[in-house]
Amino acid sequence: MLKAFTYKWGVKMKRIFLLLIGCIILTGCLGKASGDSGAFPVKNIEIIAPASPGGGWDRTARSAQRAMNADGSVDQDITVINKPGGGGEVGWQYLMQQDSHAVALNSSLLTTGAILGQTELTYKDFTPLAMLSTEWLAVASKAGSGIDDANQLMDQLREDPKSLVIGVSPSLGSGNHLSFVQAAVESGVDPTELQFLVYSSGGDIMNALLGGHIDITSNSLSDLSEQYEAGEVDILAITAPERLDSFPNIPTWKEQGVDVEFPHWRGIMGPPGMSENEIAKWDEYLSSMVKTEEWQTDLDNNDLDNFYMDSKETLAFLEKQHDFFKDIVRESGLTP
Amino acid sequence: MDTSVILDGLWTALQPANLLWLLLGAALGTIVGILPGLGAATGVAVLIPLTFGMEPVSALILMAAIYYGALFGGSRSSILINTPGDGSSIAATFDGYPMTKKGMAGQAMSIAAMASLIGGVMAIFGFIFLAIPLAKFALNFGPAEFLLLFLFALSAVVTLSQGNTIKGFLTMFLGLGISTIGVDLQSGVHRFTLGLPHLTDGINFIVIIIGIYAIGEVLYNLLKPQHSNKSDNEAIGSKWFTKEQWKRSLGPILRSGPIGFFLGVLPGSGGTIASLLAYSTEKQVSKRKDEFGKGAVEGLVAPESANSSAAVGSMIPMLTMGIPGSGTTAVMLGALVMIGVTPGPLLFENRPDMVWTLINSMFIGNLILVIINILMVGMLVKVLKTPPNVLYPIVLILSFLGAYTLGYSTIDFYILIIAGVIGLFMRMLNYPVVPLILALIVGGDMEQNFQRAMVVYDSPAAVLFASPITIVLAILTLLSLCYPLITKVFRRRKAVN
Repeated sequence: MLKAFTYKWGVKMKRIFLLLIGCIILTGCLGKASGDSGAFPVKNIEIIAPASPGGGWDRTARSAQRAMNADGSVDQDITVINKPGGGGEVGWQYLMQQDSHAVALNSSLLTTGAILGQTELTYKDFTPLAMLSTEWLAVASKAGSGIDDANQLMDQLREDPKSLVIGVSPSLGSGNHLSFVQAAVESGVDPTELQFLVYSSGGDIMNALLGGHIDITSNSLSDLSEQYEAGEVDILAITAPERLDSFPNIPTWKEQGVDVEFPHWRGIMGPPGMSENEIAKWDEYLSSMVKTEEWQTDLDNNDLDNFYMDSKETLAFLEKQHDFFKDIVRESGLTP
Repeated sequence: MDTSVILDGLWTALQPANLLWLLLGAALGTIVGILPGLGAATGVAVLIPLTFGMEPVSALILMAAIYYGALFGGSRSSILINTPGDGSSIAATFDGYPMTKKGMAGQAMSIAAMASLIGGVMAIFGFIFLAIPLAKFALNFGPAEFLLLFLFALSAVVTLSQGNTIKGFLTMFLGLGISTIGVDLQSGVHRFTLGLPHLTDGINFIVIIIGIYAIGEVLYNLLKPQHSNKSDNEAIGSKWFTKEQWKRSLGPILRSGPIGFFLGVLPGSGGTIASLLAYSTEKQVSKRKDEFGKGAVEGLVAPESANSSAAVGSMIPMLTMGIPGSGTTAVMLGALVMIGVTPGPLLFENRPDMVWTLINSMFIGNLILVIINILMVGMLVKVLKTPPNVLYPIVLILSFLGAYTLGYSTIDFYILIIAGVIGLFMRMLNYPVVPLILALIVGGDMEQNFQRAMVVYDSPAAVLFASPITIVLAILTLLSLCYPLITKVFRRRKAVN
């Protein structure tokens, strides 16, 4: 009797199990079908921050969420999820498996990762949707260190590349590192001879700079601005094409005769194979979002500049960036 | 110092809305601290969206309350079930759990809460008088100084496992080995990452802690059912500590507060090193050395006082320099920038109201936390009465949940299980766990600072003599390594006499 009982239950369980599988397959098909038929979005929008809460990508993702909610153009809920790890790769791998309701933040790491041989993912594997914002990178020394302007710095490095210790974060091959490499190359300094110390964050760098443990840092302006305003550090040059309204006393590389323009951009992209219609929708959402007051305030608070480009411009920009980074990485001596 | 600013700060901190945030933060922090893996950093991070609409002062009060609340809560699970929630509550297991086994869980928790209070309050006074000069002094710590500080911490902790020093060194090397996993910052080389992007940032030490302690403990008890300590758990003892316990505790609490405070101010070292060093210091100066590890109240209150004051200390570099000294303060810094406050040298000049409100609210918050924690003692000791077949599954679920929230990756589950098995074997073979954990926590930073020091200084000897700080630390390291030898000689002499 017991046997019969368990058998009966076994059959029942099997049926329930099959039913469940059926349901899952069915919903999967439905999701795909609706994606093609033009109705978009049909469910929650998910913004993937490929980093831990609190960092730059996370802040940008949450700003975008807030600004899009304030804008009201998206009538679905918008959520932010964090997928940290591997310099963005964990989050981007995750994006690969999502449908067009998910988008992820990106940065120059998306192009340099493949060039440096750290990953196989490139921007070509995704659907670029927009450029959002950029920060500008600056070279700074401790106030009173005797290094007062960018040309003097480069002269000294040309004479003896090992005479100064340069701190960068968070890695070799990052924008902070490569922008300095570009400035060195443009000034006739051999970048492979330079002494770089790598720290894990901009905060650690500031600590080392103020304590006199490094001589120079190449870092994002937002990490330097507070100490700059307090008069603790001097900023020698900035990678923006012209002086910033918020920091009119910081000279650009260009005006000091060094041909460097280096945006450290953040953009947004969707999974591979999005339809024209979906891309058009995102263009609409994002172009309207960047005009909101909320977005502008967040840019100001984080020392960021508007860098908006629509999906077409973004694709063209990424192609150019890819070529640019290929050259600069080769010059830096990092490629295997 | 202008007293009117301080009183204004007290007034703002006592506003009903701010008190409510403080209470909410303290309660939430306590819960987050009790759950394994959910540390203060995660607690603060998930609340970031909530702070967007808040007054900056209220946001700061809320986040700080979660931070020190989590430290109050962190030692609860260490004391009750020998499972630290994160690095800074490891030291609370050494004597806290033995006290529970002796049927003094209630007393252990109430005196630990008092120790946290006093440590915290000491650090708040330190904050008031020393914030800016200390932040400046901490800048002197460069590659050489950090390298020697970490060496000292390791040597002090390895020698804790007295009589077992070789086993201590072995587990330390295992920890150092694990800490090399991930990308090497200086060269960009991927080490032992097995092609998994999740491993490029290394293995999160909290996953290992949860694995070794929680999973290891569960496995150990499952395999040895005859060792079920159910009978020990019947007696939970009084809720209140005795006068004698208090007398024994006061000295260690007062000594450990400054240790924790100072180590908290140093960027990156944080509560774990502070509490472990406070424990080892106390063990070395105590007259009751033999009781340590067997439920000595001194061994519980010292680390508790130290990690509580380290939390307050770590807010100094964040607020005065804009440099976060720990994971939690890094998240706090990010949130503050979002709401338009940039901590840094100008904060004290531009927004003294904010700074003093925070300081006053930390003071009130510590008092509230002691009350919350002592009220909770009765409820928490019920955990001990939970039969193992209910308790262990809950511990397992919380462990996996905690590990997932750290990196949002299932790869951490495998690491958790492997660490659990390692923990099981270490327990069976009587290997000390702490050298492994500490090596894992400081290993990465220690190696990076070693590499940086090799670039900056010409020779290893130059690193040792880089500054007065390095010389002092080198001497301390040497002393702590020789300490077991010295005591042996002394004992022998005593025996001869």
